[in-house]
Formats: sequence, structure tokens, C-alpha cells
Amino acid sequence: MYQSLSDQYVARADCAVLSVRVSMPGAAAKAWGGEREKTLSDDLKKELIVLLPRLRRFARTLTRSASDADDLVQDACLKAIVGSEKWDHTQPLDRWVFRIMRNHWIGETRKTKVRLGEGHVPAEEANELVQHQTPEDALRGSQLHSQIEQLPTDLAVLLLAVSVEGYTYAEAAEVFDIPLGTVMSRIHRARKTLAAQLKQDAGAMQ
Amino acid sequence: MSFDREKLSGFLDGELSSEETREIELALESDPTLAAELEQLMAADSFAKQEFEEMLSEPVPLGLAAAVRNAPIEPSAPMASNTNRVQLRNRQAPWWSAVAAALALVIGSAGGYFTGLNTQPQIIAAAPGWLTDIADYHRVYSAQGRHLVEVDASESDHIETWLTNTVGADVVIPDLESHGLNFRGGRLLVAAGKPVAQMMYTDAAGQVVALCLIANPEPDDVFRSRQIGGFDMVTWGGGDANFVLVSDRGRDDLEAVARTAASSV
Repeated sequence: MYQSLSDQYVARADCAVLSVRVSMPGAAAKAWGGEREKTLSDDLKKELIVLLPRLRRFARTLTRSASDADDLVQDACLKAIVGSEKWDHTQPLDRWVFRIMRNHWIGETRKTKVRLGEGHVPAEEANELVQHQTPEDALRGSQLHSQIEQLPTDLAVLLLAVSVEGYTYAEAAEVFDIPLGTVMSRIHRARKTLAAQLKQDAGAMQ
Repeated sequence: MSFDREKLSGFLDGELSSEETREIELALESDPTLAAELEQLMAADSFAKQEFEEMLSEPVPLGLAAAVRNAPIEPSAPMASNTNRVQLRNRQAPWWSAVAAALALVIGSAGGYFTGLNTQPQIIAAAPGWLTDIADYHRVYSAQGRHLVEVDASESDHIETWLTNTVGADVVIPDLESHGLNFRGGRLLVAAGKPVAQMMYTDAAGQVVALCLIANPEPDDVFRSRQIGGFDMVTWGGGDANFVLVSDRGRDDLEAVARTAASSV
């Protein structure tokens, strides 16, 4: 579903490739003026590129599809670059971009739903509606591992944020825009579900 | 013991007050069932960490890094960011993207997948396109710590065979220990639409120096020092390949390292 959204951008994207390549040499870019602004955004771009593996992991967990995830990462990075003045520098960049990604993804999935005539849905449910594997995902062998895959998205992504990215409950609550108390109950449910799954898998192997 | 089981997770994450923590500790001492439950949670947690950790080793599509690097700093249209999106997906695939995809299948977790510029083959061919791509890769991978390489240095023989066969030029891993550089392993990348062998070295301070080669029937004949994408590079050619040695700015021995590498490959 998300793919069909991005289809709209194919023609424009081709133009973007051309203009991007043409404008790339440093001298031309400098002609834009705003040298300081350019330096800041160059720094931001470099930091974003370093973060790419982690941004992709977050997006993959959220979207369940490698190609949707890469589109989402790209959109979020572009938003971050364009809106760099909104970044509170006392906060780590990754947390800000995770938040952008999460909000953007919810917006995209909601739009898709409305277009399909299914009306508005609560944001919490929205990101579980679009779970598919494109042929490209299959080709790249890039699905999440099955046990994590079987967790509901909301749980998986919270587990990633807290257990792996090391976020406090308060930080996670801010990224996902949920009450603090909900973080603990979801993270617990994630672990319980995963533990039950592992137990079941171990049983099946015997 | 009467407390909400969710607190076991709060306990694991260090999110409880000292009073609640004490309560759980006491309960764990006296209740083996509870201790077993905590153990299961911890096992699930470490399983998840491992699975998520593995995802970091997956190759980043170079088109994505390029799209970020080349992103306009101001919105170009009222539709905001989406209009600026560079197509990452493979629609009318040029021949080399099929090669890249085939490699991905054969090798399993092969290097980057680059379709972002697939409508501009004449630009792709232009020098020094592959060096710009290498700079992007260096930015991504030199920051990866544990996930620096795809195949570890302990499998050096395999790395040489694998990369030689894939890149189409002889890949020999130079010994750079005289410059304080230890070989850490290799990766297969795709730059400017062609497979590239990347050999990673680190110095005592953990700084990453990468040697990359790309097959070319008419290799460069001179050593050149360049600065591309915020990194120092030394390029040269030999045999059927062009080489580049890349590091962070400010390594004054880079050319000397390059000459050692050139003499041994």
C-alpha cells in the first residue's frame, strides 16, 4: 500500500536525480548563499548517514518491509534536513529522527487507509494494517527474523527502543507519544510474548 | 506476592523506585516461580537484542546515503519532503542492478544495493563517481564498530577468493602492520554500479582505513591524493583495477600506506 504511494513520486524522483547530480559540485551549491546554513546542514547530513543502519533497523521494525523502510528513512531524513532548526540540540539526533519516522509512518498508513475507503483509525492500530512483503524484500532476504516479526509492531518497536537502543521509559514515551505507564506494560507484553514464542519453538524442535 | 507482574520488566530496565526494587528483590528470593519468570523475560530480552543486532550488519543501499547527502536543504515544492524523494526501488533496472541483485542472492548478505541513479547511466560512468560512493560507504561503515566488516579477517583466504571472483580483478590483502594497521576483514560494495572489494584496517586508536578496488581494464597510472566527501583518499591503479585508500582527514602517512599496499597487491 505504501508502495503505491511512492509510485506517485517516480516521475518527480527521476527529475530529482537529475537536479541533484547537477547541483552536487561544491561551487554550484555555494552559489545558494547561506554558507553557515549549508555547513550546518552538511554536518547534519553526515550525522544522518552515520545513523543510517540504526534508522533502517527502526524503520524496518515499524514497517515490516525493507523497501517501505528505506522510503521511510529517506523521507524522515529529508524532513530532518529541511526542518533542522526544529532539532533541539540537547537531544540526541537519533531520538528526534525516530520520532519523525514514527509520526510520518502513522501519517502515511492513515492516508492509505482513508484512500482505501476504510476511514480513520486510531493511530495505535494504523501501523499494524500495512504488513506485506514485496518481491524485492524476498529477493533481498531482508525480512525481520520470524520471532520478532510475530510480535505486534507496537511491541516490537518499543522493545527495540528500550532493550536495544537503551531508551528510558520516559524517552520512549516521548518518541512514541504514549503515556509513561503504557511503556512498561507494552515492554512487558513484548517480552512475555517473545518468551512464550521461544518456548513454543523449543518445544516444536524436540 | 502481590504486585503487578509488569514491574518485573520495570525491574529489568532499572525503572522502579528503590522501594519497589527492594520489594521485587525480596519476592525473588522467596519465590522460585517468580525467579523463573524473570529468567524467561531476560532470555527473551537477550534473544531480541541478538536479532536486532544482526540487522545492523545488513548492507545499507548506497542510493539512500546518496539521497541524504544530496538532499536539498530547503523544501523544493509545497508537498514538502516526499517530492524530494529519490527513487530507491528498482523499476526499470539497468543491467548492473541485475548483477547486484544476483550477487545478493548468491552471496547472501552481499554489499550495497544501488538503484538511486538508475536513470542516468552516463553520469554513473563519470569519474570520480565511485570515489564519492566510497566516501559514503566509509561514513556508514567506519562508524559501525562491531559491524565493521561482512567477513572477518579470520577468513582471509575466503575473502580473497570471494572478492576476486566477484569483483573480476585479483584481490590480495596487503599486510600493513608496518604502519600499525591491522586487517579486520572485508566487505563487498557496489559503487558506480560495479562490485567493489573493500578491505578494512584499524589502527591502535580504532581509526578505520579502508582499501577498495574496482576492476578496470585501463587503470590509472599515477598516485593521487584527494579529499572527497570529508575523507582523505589516495588513488592509484595496477593490474586490472583501480585502488583507493580512504581514511579520516589528517592521517599524514596515508600516501606511505598506499605505496606499501600498492607494492604488495
